[in-house]
Amino acid sequence: MSDDTLAPDNPAPTPEALTAPPAPPPSTVKPVNCPNCGGTVEIRVAGTTVSVICSHCGSTLDATSPDLQVIAKADEALKTPEIPLGTRGVIKGRTWEVVGYQERTDEEVTWAEYLLFNPYEGYAFLVDDGRRFNLGLLLDKLPTSNWGLGLSADGQNFSRFGDPYPVHTVFVVGEFYWRAAVGETVQETDYVTPGTMLACEDYQGERTWTRLDMLEWGEAETAFRIAKRRKEYSSPAPHERSPYKSQLFEAWVIGVIAAVTLFLVSGMAGSQQRIASTTTDAVLDGPEKTLVIKDVVLPPGRSRVEIDADATSLDNSWVDLDYSLTDQKTQDSIDSYGTAEFYSGTDSDGSWTEGDRKPTVDLSSIPGGRYDLVVTLSAHKWNGAGSSSSAPVTDTSLMGGHGFADGGWGSSSGGGVTVPVTVTVDRGGVFGGNIILGLLVILIWPIIVLFRHLGFEKRRKAVLSSGSDDDDSGSDD
Amino acid sequence: MFRANCPNCGAPIAFRSADLPVKVCDYCHSAVLRTGGNLAAMGKVADVPDDVSPLQLGVRGRVGARSFELIGRVRWRYADGAWNEWLAWFDDGSTGWLGESMGRYMLLRQVDPAHVVSDVVSLLKSGYAVMPGTKAMIDNVEYWASDVKTVSCVASEGELPFNSLGLSAQSIDLMSADEHCASIQKAAGEDVEIYAGRYVTLADIAATGLREFEGWPMPAYEA
Repeated sequence: MSDDTLAPDNPAPTPEALTAPPAPPPSTVKPVNCPNCGGTVEIRVAGTTVSVICSHCGSTLDATSPDLQVIAKADEALKTPEIPLGTRGVIKGRTWEVVGYQERTDEEVTWAEYLLFNPYEGYAFLVDDGRRFNLGLLLDKLPTSNWGLGLSADGQNFSRFGDPYPVHTVFVVGEFYWRAAVGETVQETDYVTPGTMLACEDYQGERTWTRLDMLEWGEAETAFRIAKRRKEYSSPAPHERSPYKSQLFEAWVIGVIAAVTLFLVSGMAGSQQRIASTTTDAVLDGPEKTLVIKDVVLPPGRSRVEIDADATSLDNSWVDLDYSLTDQKTQDSIDSYGTAEFYSGTDSDGSWTEGDRKPTVDLSSIPGGRYDLVVTLSAHKWNGAGSSSSAPVTDTSLMGGHGFADGGWGSSSGGGVTVPVTVTVDRGGVFGGNIILGLLVILIWPIIVLFRHLGFEKRRKAVLSSGSDDDDSGSDD
Repeated sequence: MFRANCPNCGAPIAFRSADLPVKVCDYCHSAVLRTGGNLAAMGKVADVPDDVSPLQLGVRGRVGARSFELIGRVRWRYADGAWNEWLAWFDDGSTGWLGESMGRYMLLRQVDPAHVVSDVVSLLKSGYAVMPGTKAMIDNVEYWASDVKTVSCVASEGELPFNSLGLSAQSIDLMSADEHCASIQKAAGEDVEIYAGRYVTLADIAATGLREFEGWPMPAYEA
């Protein structure tokens, strides 16, 4: 940069700047008088506006004629849009001015459409179905067909929602870039993806595509300063996102975390606590023996009690164990039983063994208190080893352990042989049933949300099913 | 630059290219036709309306590596509305049109008819009606006619490649599945002219020198 281009430190203002301050920028709004009623009509998009419907008398004026010719005379009192003409608001960072308002119907429901304008952005639509608002922009690219499965536009896939249907304009006020008029009928076809609808309008050989994005609850109301709508989902729009879908995801994530936590915690709480352990000798084929473990103390609430028997030296014999856990105070008792058994022998397949020398019995949800555990043992010898070709039935407890005609069982000769049996009582530990109950409780919320979501989707598509069958019993207005 | 004085009012006028033989005098709004060094006033042109357009003569923009300036404007009218076409003078001396209709913009360049495969051209030549939906291949891009109308020129300003006074034409808008759009026009007694390009936003062309409007924030587009 050479010296002579440097500006002086304090440039003297030019005489023009002193005498004639720059004219303020022009306004986009030009007031004119309605040639029918004389009221002031504000033209907001001069040059592009084609039709003006006077907000005072409802007459339709031709904005393309220099003197605003009256196209259709009217003298009705008009309704006022909820968002008044001329209101400006900011949606998604862009300022929009309401320049036109129309009400349209598909013969079942009526909705409102605001025409919005910004001199640098052009036009947009604010569509109000009475519950929620959508911001509509004209597509400047044609959607492409997805092999008959729907349409693709702006990188999104849309599926067709129902059949084409006629849409009638039932009320207009303000200004429009087309010849807006009550009675105008277009044929509309809708394509949807969650949150967005593509509306295809056919009118006298011209086809326009509008992309409608559903705004958040309260977004348009805040922008244009009107009362907020109440959230409700009784009659969702065809492209409305299920509010339960994100909840569903959250509910399942939380559910899974809770379930994993349940397993971890119960695993830790599963460390059992030994209450008592006693060993006694049972005489094979001898008389019943009774063992009493006194003062089994359970804490308040509900506990699980595990009774383990251990008869490690059993061989081709079994011990029936009857348990009775009796509350010292109420004398209520909880009964159960187990069988310790062990058999071995040799047959054509070689040697075999069967049986469980250490049976476990679980008692769940035992109330807190002081109990006595009465154990009745009766030991028996089995003489069938080596002579039987079939494996013995092991779960003799199911069969009652008695009454076999087969010679091997209980025909005694082992008098006086004793088997040491250790009975151990533990408290706590994991009981599967409780975990399943816990899981069910955890899953209640995700399942409720799932059903809400399915209900929402059913209502969203209700229009489709009521249209396809001729049954008119549906009465959800 | 060819400098002269308006044959009607004597105000100084300038022509920047032999390709743009018409200049609407800024003072008396006469259309002045230049033929070599000779000037002829063709008659008064209607004033362009004071419309709410952010564009004006002198607005600059950019497409790819090329920058342009808006130096002329023709306003067209049809039965149900009107729109502007702004003449864009590119820095390589070529021209294009920035169409402004219903708040949307199309940047179009003239296409050699040899690059067009369509019934539209022959239908227009023989004076038959073109139906919306008729296909056209222009520079290997597939288009469909979306709008067919009769248009007439109602006003103009600045420098122009043709005399717009009293001009009327058949005009067909075409859309494609991508961002392309096109316009095919035929004025009475003239050849079919084909223009193709794409929809743009003011941000896309990084427009500067836009008109200001009271109460509206002026966007600042990144060049």
